Amino acid sequence: VKGEHLGEFEEFTLLAVRALGDNTYAVPIQEYVETMTGRPISIGSIYAALARLEEKGFLRSTMSEAVARRGGKSKRVYAVTPGGLRTARDLHRVRERIWNAIGEAGRP
Amino acid sequence: VTRQPRLPYPARWLLRWSPVTRDARPGVETDLLELFAARRRERGAIHAHRRLYHDLASLWLLRGTVPRPSRDRAVRGLLRDARDDVRFALRLFARRPAILLLTILGLSVGLGIATAAFSIMNVAVLRGEGLVDPDRVPGVLRATARSRTTAWSYEEFLRLREGSTRMQIEAVLTDTAAARIGARDEAAPTVALGFVSGGFFPVTGGRVTRGRPLEPADEPQPGPPAAVVSFVFWSSVLNRDPAVIGRTIRIGRADATIVGVAERGFSLPANRQVWMPLTAYGAVYGSGGRRTPAMGLQVFGRLRPDASLAEAEAQLGGVAAALPGDGTAPESALRVELDPHAGLGRTSAADTIAIAVFVFAVIGLVLLLACANAATVLVSAAITREREMGVRAALGASRARIVRQLITESLALGTIAAAIGLVFASWALPLIGTAVEAPAGADLAPDLMVYVFLGLVTLISGVAAGLAPARHGWGVDLVTPLKGEGARRAQLAPRRLRSLLVATQAAVSVLLIILATLFVRATFRAAAIDVGFDTAALYLVSPGLGDTFNDAAAASRTTSFWARAIPEVQAIPGIAGVALVELPPFSGITRASLTRNAPADAVIYFNRTDAAYVETLGLRILSGRTFTSAEVAANAPVVLVSESLARAYWRGQSPLGLLLPAEIPIPEIPARIIETRPVIVGVVEDAITVRLDERSRFAVYQPLPAASAGAAELLIRIAPGATGALQQAAQRLRAIDPGAEVRIASIAARVRQEAGRPRMVAALTGVVGLVAVVMCVIGLYGLTAAAVNQREREMGVRAAMGAAPGDLLGLLMWDSLRPVGFGLAIGAGAALLAGRVMAAAMLFGVSPQDPAAFAGAALILIASAILAVLVPTRRAAAVDAASVLKRA
Repeated sequence: VKGEHLGEFEEFTLLAVRALGDNTYAVPIQEYVETMTGRPISIGSIYAALARLEEKGFLRSTMSEAVARRGGKSKRVYAVTPGGLRTARDLHRVRERIWNAIGEAGRP
Repeated sequence: VTRQPRLPYPARWLLRWSPVTRDARPGVETDLLELFAARRRERGAIHAHRRLYHDLASLWLLRGTVPRPSRDRAVRGLLRDARDDVRFALRLFARRPAILLLTILGLSVGLGIATAAFSIMNVAVLRGEGLVDPDRVPGVLRATARSRTTAWSYEEFLRLREGSTRMQIEAVLTDTAAARIGARDEAAPTVALGFVSGGFFPVTGGRVTRGRPLEPADEPQPGPPAAVVSFVFWSSVLNRDPAVIGRTIRIGRADATIVGVAERGFSLPANRQVWMPLTAYGAVYGSGGRRTPAMGLQVFGRLRPDASLAEAEAQLGGVAAALPGDGTAPESALRVELDPHAGLGRTSAADTIAIAVFVFAVIGLVLLLACANAATVLVSAAITREREMGVRAALGASRARIVRQLITESLALGTIAAAIGLVFASWALPLIGTAVEAPAGADLAPDLMVYVFLGLVTLISGVAAGLAPARHGWGVDLVTPLKGEGARRAQLAPRRLRSLLVATQAAVSVLLIILATLFVRATFRAAAIDVGFDTAALYLVSPGLGDTFNDAAAASRTTSFWARAIPEVQAIPGIAGVALVELPPFSGITRASLTRNAPADAVIYFNRTDAAYVETLGLRILSGRTFTSAEVAANAPVVLVSESLARAYWRGQSPLGLLLPAEIPIPEIPARIIETRPVIVGVVEDAITVRLDERSRFAVYQPLPAASAGAAELLIRIAPGATGALQQAAQRLRAIDPGAEVRIASIAARVRQEAGRPRMVAALTGVVGLVAVVMCVIGLYGLTAAAVNQREREMGVRAAMGAAPGDLLGLLMWDSLRPVGFGLAIGAGAALLAGRVMAAAMLFGVSPQDPAAFAGAALILIASAILAVLVPTRRAAAVDAASVLKRA
């Protein structure tokens, strides 16, 4: 239904991947979003958002090398695609424009 | 080597069941573990666990977020719709957890009780005992001019069997004996025995799951007798021993070899646990002279395929006419009647129907309550969810779709409830089994029938509970609610339906509480009953010598046993009194005669004792004397009578030296007419020795000569502070007769057990009654809150017109409480009726119309109903007219 647009939660997730630097994975993303939004986020919603973003082409993922810290298991790591970055910037720009129109006093 | 940290086991288990694909699972698990470890470090274990399970749950709620295009739309679409329905249902449950949890609890109690009741009836009435084609297996009745009985002597049975060609004649004798499975000193359970003739198994159609059935060849077999055990005996007592065939168990005084295990469901007649050949009777009861029982055989047979009932009856009549009379009825010849309804394992049709009607009434009542409650909750949910329904309809959902969703919700409720109900039923079944005194051989484990019943009932009650609000949802205008607050119609919920639901719940709750209160009072009453003697230091020691009917050798052995045993036991230090008694206190067996004429209809209990009984039991002799030893030994015609009997028949005059009046017939086994009336030599204090609830205090004591005391038991009173005397006594008895099955029982324990009977029923009805009240309160609260919410505008208008808050409160309270009052009246009426039907035996003298119980139940219900109604109505009555009307 959402097509090429970003939902709020998807936007947070996308920006979190960007903020954490590429090749990050679900756990740090969850922790980042939780810290930044200040509300409890379940890991399942992060998985779902990541899957949707990847399907829309905003993220791409690869399997990493095995990491000793994770008991020798590999993990799926994510990076923002140029398209994803562009969409996020567009969204931000639209918001900025609206806020500017509102002005400091909160009224146009 | 350090161990890899892992997720807690339940979390791993949940993960395995989650929608996460198999190859993604290890990754998810390590993610979860990482989060878990970090959170535990930072915020502690409780927080970490809570979040862990929240995360796990989130894996479910977000399934299907990446939909795949479906190929087969018709089927898949339907499936997805159903899945969505369930998901909506779960979401609804998550939003209103407390109320729904209690509804599930109520429904599950309802379903559980229904299942338990059905299980009992299934065992008692529907399942039967495994007799194949019972219409062709009539009972053979022994008829004379005066009597008609199923009991034949062994010799008569043999003659009948030889003389019959139209039907195959078999016989069975039921009895009990102690069965010793393992070591010598462990408690020996009493088993229900069936002594059967050789063709018993083929004629009844009984089959075995292991080994072989009993055969005609087992009949003349010398040496250790063969035995077939029932499925229940094998699984509960023998722990499903795979090597059961060939195993030896000691039954009574015989070492029996198990040759077969009967099929599950075969327990003819009357819940037998072990079958042995008739010829093993002598060995089991140690009556050395005879191998078979002398009398009391139940004779039956299977008609040959081409034979009719009349033909077989005529032929057997000819055989019986040639039999020698038995002296009890010299004036009449023996006749034979074949009665298909007196065959094995047949209860009369009237009994069956009465039980079935009663059980189904209980089931129906409980289910009605459960359904009414579920429907109430769903109706109140439907009222508040009108907007949701409106949105759905606006988005294009058909009405059928919405109704289906409501039914799915209630079915989901019902399924969860059924699972819990099954657990509840399996907990309650043994309790109910004990309460209704189910025999040890009865197989109470649920079978396929029970599961089918539970499934059907769940389906029906789920749909029924869902249909009420669904019908409501069907008729409702789905668009108006969308327009917002002001556009509401004044009355949306069908008021009559709501009142009916509340009234039903109130009625059932009140009925259950009244019954529970009656039983609780009965429990206290039973515990306070004074039996007339001190039970604390009284014990029974029974040596299990066996029957001595028609057996001179056994009689003389019994005489010499007691002649040695009584003085030896008396000599043991610490034993204050020893007496022989035929029917010991609270043994469950009575010998009584019923007098229909003056002074009143009364039951008079008879017992045979020796001279020391009255003193050992602790009863005072009010006048006259007890028996002398000489009278006991000679079986002299003397009796003692109880105080009440003396008062009723002789009205203040002394009965000493008078004959026992002819209006009091003396019951004898086997029946014969007593020519000489005995003389009354003493009057003894009243005592309760039969059942705690027995009202008749009429008792007659006759002397018990040692020769006929084969089945008698030794009553022992222990001196205060003495220890070990009982064990010594048991050792002495075993030393005298090594084959004796010595068992010790405490009289006080028997009395406690008697008094405990109503307690179990009280617990059961009490729990159900409380649940019923809680359910009623929840339903009432939900409905009132929803209804009051709807009438907010009306209240606003009334307030604007000048109604005081008190008036509004009164109006709302009255409207909500009226159906409760109505239900209360119906419930109380039903309780009055139930009290009449209920066996007075369970109530121990508490009147079924006990005013305290009725008042208490009414008080509980009204108080809780007022509480349930007060909270929402007070809120509504305090309405601010201006704000409500402005919103409109």
